[in-house]
Amino acid sequence: MLLECMMNGHAILYTGVTVAFWSTILIVGICYTIFDLGFRFDVAWFLTETSPFMWANLGIGLAISLSVVGAAWGIYITGSSIIGGGVKAPRIKTKNLVSIIFCEAVAIYGIIMAIVISNMAESFSGTTPETIGARNYQAGYSMFGAGLTVGFSNLFCGICVGIVGSGAALADAQNASLFVKILIVEIFGSAIGLFGVIVAILQTSKVKMGD
Amino acid sequence: MATTGRPQLRSISACLAVFLGLLNILNTGNCDEQVPLIMWTSEGVSVPTQSPPTAGHIVGQQQLASYLEKALSVGPRNVVLFLQDKMSIEDFTMYGGAFGNKQDSVFPNLEGALRSSSSPLVLPAVSWPASNAVIGQLQDQLDTSPLYMDPETLSQLRLNASSPALLVFRLPYGFGADLMSAKDILSGNDEMIGQVLSTMKTQSVPYTAIYTALQPPGRLPRGGWRERERERERQRKIKEKAGIYGPVEFKEEDNTCILLWAQGLSVSILRSGRWEEHDLTPLTFGEGVSPKLDGSTCDKSKARLVLNYENILGHRSFKLIFAMSQRHYKVSARRWFTLDAVVLEYDGTHATFNGSRHVYAPAEYSYRCGSVTNFRWPVLIPRTSKDPANQWRVSFADFQIQGFNVTGSDFSYASDCAGFFSPGIWMGLMTSLLMVLVLTYGLHMIMQLHTMDRFDDPKGPAISVPLTE
Repeated sequence: MLLECMMNGHAILYTGVTVAFWSTILIVGICYTIFDLGFRFDVAWFLTETSPFMWANLGIGLAISLSVVGAAWGIYITGSSIIGGGVKAPRIKTKNLVSIIFCEAVAIYGIIMAIVISNMAESFSGTTPETIGARNYQAGYSMFGAGLTVGFSNLFCGICVGIVGSGAALADAQNASLFVKILIVEIFGSAIGLFGVIVAILQTSKVKMGD
Repeated sequence: MATTGRPQLRSISACLAVFLGLLNILNTGNCDEQVPLIMWTSEGVSVPTQSPPTAGHIVGQQQLASYLEKALSVGPRNVVLFLQDKMSIEDFTMYGGAFGNKQDSVFPNLEGALRSSSSPLVLPAVSWPASNAVIGQLQDQLDTSPLYMDPETLSQLRLNASSPALLVFRLPYGFGADLMSAKDILSGNDEMIGQVLSTMKTQSVPYTAIYTALQPPGRLPRGGWRERERERERQRKIKEKAGIYGPVEFKEEDNTCILLWAQGLSVSILRSGRWEEHDLTPLTFGEGVSPKLDGSTCDKSKARLVLNYENILGHRSFKLIFAMSQRHYKVSARRWFTLDAVVLEYDGTHATFNGSRHVYAPAEYSYRCGSVTNFRWPVLIPRTSKDPANQWRVSFADFQIQGFNVTGSDFSYASDCAGFFSPGIWMGLMTSLLMVLVLTYGLHMIMQLHTMDRFDDPKGPAISVPLTE
């Protein structure tokens, strides 16, 4: 039975990734301990030696990619319902496209933020933590944070709007008067994506990278 | 090894065999690079026995000089030196009857002399350059020039117990020209030793005798000039790489307090657009080099090593100062030491480099770095932008320093400046982890897509899509 359970693709994938991650951490930890090199474990060193460019670009990448994941997820949920419901009630097709547009807006927020954040990335000439300077580190971390903010907000916003839109399409197919009320729920759902964008703008407002 | 009597040389040979084994196992050095040295005083002379070195220890030039000095200061100052061309510990192991076959030993005279002496000293491994210089050292200590003799001329010599004399007997070893085996050669040498010793006995003058060689036998030529060339190159590289010299030690009341070692130590100054360099390594490190350390201090929390030089780059007095301090740091809850400053002091000017940013280690350990410079991956930074240090370049290659908690005269564990994971590796790991998470998520999504099989009926008619509408 265990073998049957293991044959499941999901199980293999999750156990594989988990085992790889935890064994890496365990082996590194054991090596630090037995060689008495615990003093070399230095988080501050990690944060100052890694390049601010890595953080900035991870932020940019996460901003767009997580937003797109949210939008895509929402669209496929809603889209499947619209198309399915549209077989029996073709009138719902046009009206329910607005749900798709709400999902798409989430992706647009993502790409706008990605472009805004990437415009802030400038080159600097320092190579050591002193010559790089605090401002560049702040810029790197802010961009990373902003990217995470907008990315995850849009991700969940997109899923939310998608599931509500799917419900709206099917309800509309049954009873046309229900659609407008459900649209209000969708509007609240899409506002949370906007919150993410606003906070990300605030985070990157003080960013000034460069010499 | 305080036993006397018959088993003494057997135990010596057995010990030599053990030393040989240890040297092979520990691989502390190329077996062929060391030469044994045996020293004893004549019968009837009682001098305090010196303690032999620890097993596997290779005696360097300075240590050999101290052994000889101690022996000659209390013992007879007539020295009989038997210098074989080449010698190796293996000779004693193979031909000394060390395996219970004392009757096959080719060293009966040597063994007899050691047995009758009250204070024999056996140094199984003297480093090769040191043994080469043994004549010079004896010359310096006895303040007399060596007399090269053979047993016949010895009987014509009149020796005096009060005036020192250095009699050198060259013994052959090489079995290149004639095909005598090593055993025969050693046996012949031992006979000559016996003759000399009996002649010395008739003179009834107390003497100190030393039996050693100029160089180790080296590898048997495997044939071909190229092999030998490669071998020479390899030996040269080994010597260079080993950097066979000890660290600079600053002692406070006989306890070593600060240790410094480097493969290369050089300073350069910018003068009229050009960098003028001066290599301080030969003035600081090397066999027999002792730099002046006046002005150095050390205590529990601060240590200061001052290397004094003269006439460096046009400056009459030049000092290279390493200032270190140690204290307890609350967040990491341990003591760390830092190299606070490297100061070049010349003609009243101080050029100060700050090193505490990068040069640090836990207080129990030493700090070691392959390159400590202020211009190439700089570790030392001028204290201010107007400091005279901005016109200087210092470069320490293969640098190791320890200012606190020094036990003995060796470095503690070296905390290296290069860690296992570099920043790039960490960045790569982080990004890879992110990618792996994305991949996992994607795979999860794809694997939960199922084709619609609600209306599948394997037994029903197959779907037909008509070509015409």
